[in-house]
Amino acid sequence: MAEILQYVHKDGFLHRLHPYTKIAFIIVVSIMCIIATDIGFLTFMVLAMLAFAAYGRLLTESLQQLKLILVMSLIFILITIITMPNGDTLGYLIPQGIPFAGGLIPVTDGGLLIGLVLTLRFMILIFAFQLFLISTQPRDLVHAMEKVGLPIDYILMFIIALRFIPTLQIEGQRIHEAQLARGFNPGSGFIGKIRSVAPIVVPLVSNALLRANVLGLTIDMRGYRIGRKTHIRERKFAGRDFVVMGILSVAGCGFIILLLAHLV
Amino acid sequence: MIELKDVSYTYPHTVQPALHRITLSLEKGRCVMVTGPSGAGKTSLCLAASGVLHHDYGGKKEGSIIVDGRNIADYRTLSDLARNVGVVFDDPEAQMIFTTVEEEILSALEHRGLPPEVIEERLSGIMKTTYLEELKNRSPHNLSGGQKQRVALAATLALGNDILILDEPTSELDEHATRRIAGILKDLKDQGKTILLIEHKFDHFREIVDTLVVMEDGRITSRGSPAEVLNDDHIRGMVLPDFSKVGKNPCTAGPAEPVITVRDLVHCYGNVPALSGINLTLGKGEFVAIVGENGSGKTTLVKHFNRLLSPTSGDVIVNGRNTKDCSIASLARDVGLVFQNPDHMFFADTVREEIAYGVKNLGIENADRVIDAALTDAGLSESASLYPRWLSRGERQRLGIACVVAMQPGVIVLDEPTTGLDGYEAILVISILKKLQEKGHTIVIITHNRDIAGNCADRIITMENGKIISDTGGA
Repeated sequence: MAEILQYVHKDGFLHRLHPYTKIAFIIVVSIMCIIATDIGFLTFMVLAMLAFAAYGRLLTESLQQLKLILVMSLIFILITIITMPNGDTLGYLIPQGIPFAGGLIPVTDGGLLIGLVLTLRFMILIFAFQLFLISTQPRDLVHAMEKVGLPIDYILMFIIALRFIPTLQIEGQRIHEAQLARGFNPGSGFIGKIRSVAPIVVPLVSNALLRANVLGLTIDMRGYRIGRKTHIRERKFAGRDFVVMGILSVAGCGFIILLLAHLV
Repeated sequence: MIELKDVSYTYPHTVQPALHRITLSLEKGRCVMVTGPSGAGKTSLCLAASGVLHHDYGGKKEGSIIVDGRNIADYRTLSDLARNVGVVFDDPEAQMIFTTVEEEILSALEHRGLPPEVIEERLSGIMKTTYLEELKNRSPHNLSGGQKQRVALAATLALGNDILILDEPTSELDEHATRRIAGILKDLKDQGKTILLIEHKFDHFREIVDTLVVMEDGRITSRGSPAEVLNDDHIRGMVLPDFSKVGKNPCTAGPAEPVITVRDLVHCYGNVPALSGINLTLGKGEFVAIVGENGSGKTTLVKHFNRLLSPTSGDVIVNGRNTKDCSIASLARDVGLVFQNPDHMFFADTVREEIAYGVKNLGIENADRVIDAALTDAGLSESASLYPRWLSRGERQRLGIACVVAMQPGVIVLDEPTTGLDGYEAILVISILKKLQEKGHTIVIITHNRDIAGNCADRIITMENGKIISDTGGA
């Protein structure tokens, strides 16, 4: 089973970076990709994310959700083509030869461009956040966020939301199997989707609520909410962190220059 | 260490008290085991003794609870109480917050205000006591039930408390994993820890239990040394059920007509082989037990009977049809599967509607009559209009069976049907299965309980590492 956004235990370059460095990386990358509108630059950034992943020995893990990302991208492009027609018409989604509907929904270069820009931004953000989460131990994350002064309750909420993704996936799968064994056959199409909701979602949510109760008690009983008292095996800011921070600063300055020159 | 005096407790929005005038004392270095039917108030007792009911639940409380010399009300918060009492709840998955085993235990240690050297030393000590050293970098969803239980126990031990409260720590574990937990608890008791244990499997913990407490309907009905308490026949039947009374049905003469034939079955999850070279024929009307440790491929095998899994290679023939050519929905008429945790299927508002779901799916005629019969078979006629999740564990298990029985499959497969049940409830479930066998159904149960397999099944199939290593009735 593909493990969505779960920490992967490895000894790679990204794993050895301080969480602050990785947070700085995410901030710089997010700002750049949100401001930039040049397709070439954004494509370069997607490739750069994959290169980082490969350098950090996390390429396979990064590409695990590729299918989902590609499907989402296609949906993005389709939506912008339909909702934001702009500029020259390149063709039609429904070919002109077809009677009645032929020639509807024009594909415009402006719409296509916006769709591509949105898609590339989406990819960059997903890859960057994924790299951050799969290379950072939740303990380190808790610690980093605690130091910034975030309340421990919010940090735990964030960590638990991520940690229970695979648990819910597995549970959903089991429930689905249990209902299939009872002749569950929701049928296809929209009606089928609606009918399939109750037999799967009701047990999933009920079980998750029960689990949340035990989880809450565990957090209290282990004293997590009083904050950490001893900090051991802390990640120290090391040479590599300064190097990465330096590169990020140079990239940031370079980006501003390109921006002023209207090149991105 | 813990002293409950006349403790009664009623949960918010309910009328019936969950605990009724409980008086119990837990002395230092002793182990008290609490047992009883599901719904008797064992978990409530566990929550009361740990202060959770007082600090977290509201509801109506009476009596006093003293922990380590202080009244429970004098502790400011649960976290404050947690310095004295460690609790391991029955759902190990919900007790794992971090993403590796070591991180989980380390995080618990960091909250005790100990110097770093002591933390490292304790960490390695706890990993050793709970046999987790090799698993330290694994993530929780890649662990087996037994391993998860050990992590939950280890994280609680990390707190360094002298009092440990454990709520059914072995409910879903096989023999081997249960023995391992029992061994760990023995070591902890030898180290001077005080243990309150909620369990059904007295046999495994016989060595460490000083006092046995039996609860029924929210009251303590018996207490004393195990020998004293077990003198009572009623309690003996509950704690150490005698499955030989259920008995075997006389074997039918001659070989039975085959209902399921498995030929050279191989199944791989990705590249990992889970089943290899399985050959098996199940005859009509047989009562078959499949035994083997967690991870030996038992559940993987039975999921092939109704095509929840398809063979990587080989064939599964059900009533003359190759499962490759059938849909799961059409096989549901031939093979019914009751999963280990009945809560995975309940979504309707009443017990009756829950049973009706499968019946409607298959378009079975005379639905009302069929549902009534299933309710009667499972002994649930009185509960037909209740909300399924309000039932006790034993009743939910029987409802799971009723849901499948109503679909009238020839073969009924049950994955661990007696998990978390006391002796009487387990015998009740097995008797229901025996009656179904008499009516001509083929029954296949997966079980860790060798007593059930030995006394009730006509045939025992033992699995290990994805292979059948012995089959008492195999052709």
